[in-house]
Amino acid sequence: MAIENLNEFLAGYFQSHHCQLLSNKNGILQVQLTEEMDRALMNRPFYWHYIKKMGREGEPKQLTFITNPDKREEQGEWIHFGSPRLQQILRHLKQNEKYTKLFQRVDPHVNTPMYPWLVVNLKISYKGKQKKEEIFSLGLQMVTGEMRAEMMNTLRTIPLQQTISDYCYTISPIIRLNSGYKRMEAVIDNYIENQTHEWAKASLLAMKEDIDTLKHFYVEQTDIETETMEKEIAEIEERYRPVISYEVINGGMFYLSKV
Amino acid sequence: MNKISIQKDSNYIDQLQAELEKGEALSSWELFSMTYEAELTSMTPEFHGLRSLDFLPHVNFMDHQVSTAQQVIEQMNGRAILADEVGLGKTIEAGLVMKEYMIRGLVKKILILVPASLVNQWERELNEKFYIPAIGHRRNYAWEEYDILISSMDTAKRSPHREKILDIDYDLILIDEAHKLKNHKTKNYEFVRSLKKKYCLLLTATPVQNKLVEIFNLVSILKPGHLGNYDDFLTKFGKDRTKMKDDLFLKQLVQKVMVRNTRAETTIKNTKRNIETVWLEFSEPEKEVYQLLENSIHKSSFAKITYLREFCSSREACYLSLAKLNDINNPNELIQTITSKIETLPHHKKAEKLVELIKDIGDEKVIVFTEYRASQLYLQWYLQQHGISSVPFRGGFKRGKKDWMRQLFENHAQVLIATEAGGEGINLQFCNYMINYDLPWNPMRLEQRIGRIHRYGQEKDVHIYNFAIRETIEEHIMTLLYEKIELFEKVIGHLDNILAELEITNMEKEIATIYSESESMGEAKIKLDNLSHVLKNTFHTGSEEEQYGN
Repeated sequence: MAIENLNEFLAGYFQSHHCQLLSNKNGILQVQLTEEMDRALMNRPFYWHYIKKMGREGEPKQLTFITNPDKREEQGEWIHFGSPRLQQILRHLKQNEKYTKLFQRVDPHVNTPMYPWLVVNLKISYKGKQKKEEIFSLGLQMVTGEMRAEMMNTLRTIPLQQTISDYCYTISPIIRLNSGYKRMEAVIDNYIENQTHEWAKASLLAMKEDIDTLKHFYVEQTDIETETMEKEIAEIEERYRPVISYEVINGGMFYLSKV
Repeated sequence: MNKISIQKDSNYIDQLQAELEKGEALSSWELFSMTYEAELTSMTPEFHGLRSLDFLPHVNFMDHQVSTAQQVIEQMNGRAILADEVGLGKTIEAGLVMKEYMIRGLVKKILILVPASLVNQWERELNEKFYIPAIGHRRNYAWEEYDILISSMDTAKRSPHREKILDIDYDLILIDEAHKLKNHKTKNYEFVRSLKKKYCLLLTATPVQNKLVEIFNLVSILKPGHLGNYDDFLTKFGKDRTKMKDDLFLKQLVQKVMVRNTRAETTIKNTKRNIETVWLEFSEPEKEVYQLLENSIHKSSFAKITYLREFCSSREACYLSLAKLNDINNPNELIQTITSKIETLPHHKKAEKLVELIKDIGDEKVIVFTEYRASQLYLQWYLQQHGISSVPFRGGFKRGKKDWMRQLFENHAQVLIATEAGGEGINLQFCNYMINYDLPWNPMRLEQRIGRIHRYGQEKDVHIYNFAIRETIEEHIMTLLYEKIELFEKVIGHLDNILAELEITNMEKEIATIYSESESMGEAKIKLDNLSHVLKNTFHTGSEEEQYGN
């Protein structure tokens, strides 16, 4: 589910932010920014400060994004996975889209209950000599306690909106948010405990080797030498010590009709 | 397992609770799921490999650059000496390593120490090629405030900067021209040793210049103890320069912390170097003046050789130094005769040829190197008379002016007329024609000149033209020295080692001495011939043992 079509991704992003798409063909997307998005992306706080002081409306800019590498020569910004502009947009997403509350869109004729799910997307980092990451999407039904993996894939098939549909009512959760999250953490803890962690063993071994090597260097045990050596040992530990960390990407409450 | 520390995200759920209680609209499904997609896209799924390549589709990396970056990260764990030969892209390799660590979230705080003249170039290269937001340190910048700063060693090691820098825990330290740290007793060395750093890259084309102990000192910055302690090393390998190949074990140890790619092994040789000597004859009146200079001024003096060389470059260069010699109150008759003859001379043969050649080359950019300021000015004027636009370049220009001239050359002017390559000067890979209007006597300078254009990033074959005038001092240097040692074809790239081996510290002086101490031109020729023999032999025996890196 990673981004496959950058052009579609960008078009979706700007439309969701109520920006008008002026044109979009052959991998060239032209967008009229809103004031809000101009402030978020164009990095010109003085302009906005000044224009508002003058009591004027201000003119948000237009941007042209080229995703088709064959059209790089045309007027506009060539945007790709490494470009600062895309990184800026991704950062903007990560900072602003951490929390949600959504309802399944249904069209019932009778009263229909909506069941509460806690959904959490999180990233696990394994850092030793090198680093890698893993992403999990977990869903917990807050009444029955049923847990599902790959929750985002399930949700993709369900129409969702920010308000509850007519004739629908929500079932109150039995599990509290905090203990729901604890259950998810426990699942991850368990997953991590069941791995052999060769990477961590290799890192610890490399750390020990480097520290042993370091001790060969110092012959005299003067205070200054000992101090330098301790500084260097700390650097080695910082570089190799294995750490696993959890970081929530985003999450929220989802109310779904089926149990 | 219990040695792995685990850090959990304990705040998130309380924040979610608080947001839900506010009762305001939260993220829409579209933006919520796009954020998840974004993370899936930018995550690092494997310990191995270079993620950075996907992020830099606009750069064509060469194989050796990619494999070097990967080796530094995966086998050397981020502490390494990058010791490629000049022009193979050490900067690129270092940029890749930095970018990779940044993408993986392992590096945030970086300090880059480079010669002052290179600060802008590093800044531009890291920003344009790698999208690494590095900035050159300016007065009053706070060291702790900017994540990625580029500075000269001289600034960094000075109070009050020194104290501030030593307080910071750096994720990565990069030092360019690191051979300047070969002596462990210097202030620079002591400063670098005391920096707090996680990863560390040392860049140098000449990791061992004179003594093997230099490599010991460099390695001790990265991995103290890797080559044992100082005293043991000295006992074992001595204070003198010895060949790394004598000791296979040492060679292997060094290879664990150093990568060295050579021109011969890499694909850069795909762009060829075409070298052509352009022979010229003086016109009769020019010949007359040259002979007058040669025969009438006191025979063995450095000054005379200088006048001859200058006269081979331009009337102006020679005229100016002669005029300086001439005391107004006590005019020297001979000099006056010569200067008044010079005044009547037509345009210099070389200048005429230059215009002809540039017109033949057509629309391409051309760099012209001359040894003399006066010739530089003259040529700029002379080219302009023929409708050819040019900009000047001198080593003495300030940083900003150098950059500006480079830009003018790249975007507006056809010709750059430079007096000095500056070993640490500018890169001009967008240009592939070079004219050595006159040749320096120090072949290292020639190497630097050529290195400006024949380096990583050059996509076309390089054309080099060397001007020389028959029956002058230029002919000696050209035929007896440069052509004989096959300087342009073979020796460039190895000069450093050859000259160090022969303990020749100043080639220019060496040649000048030959001329001034010889009774006749014939004697000078024989001595020059000898010198080139020695150089050539050293090259042939030396080239076999060069390969201590990999």
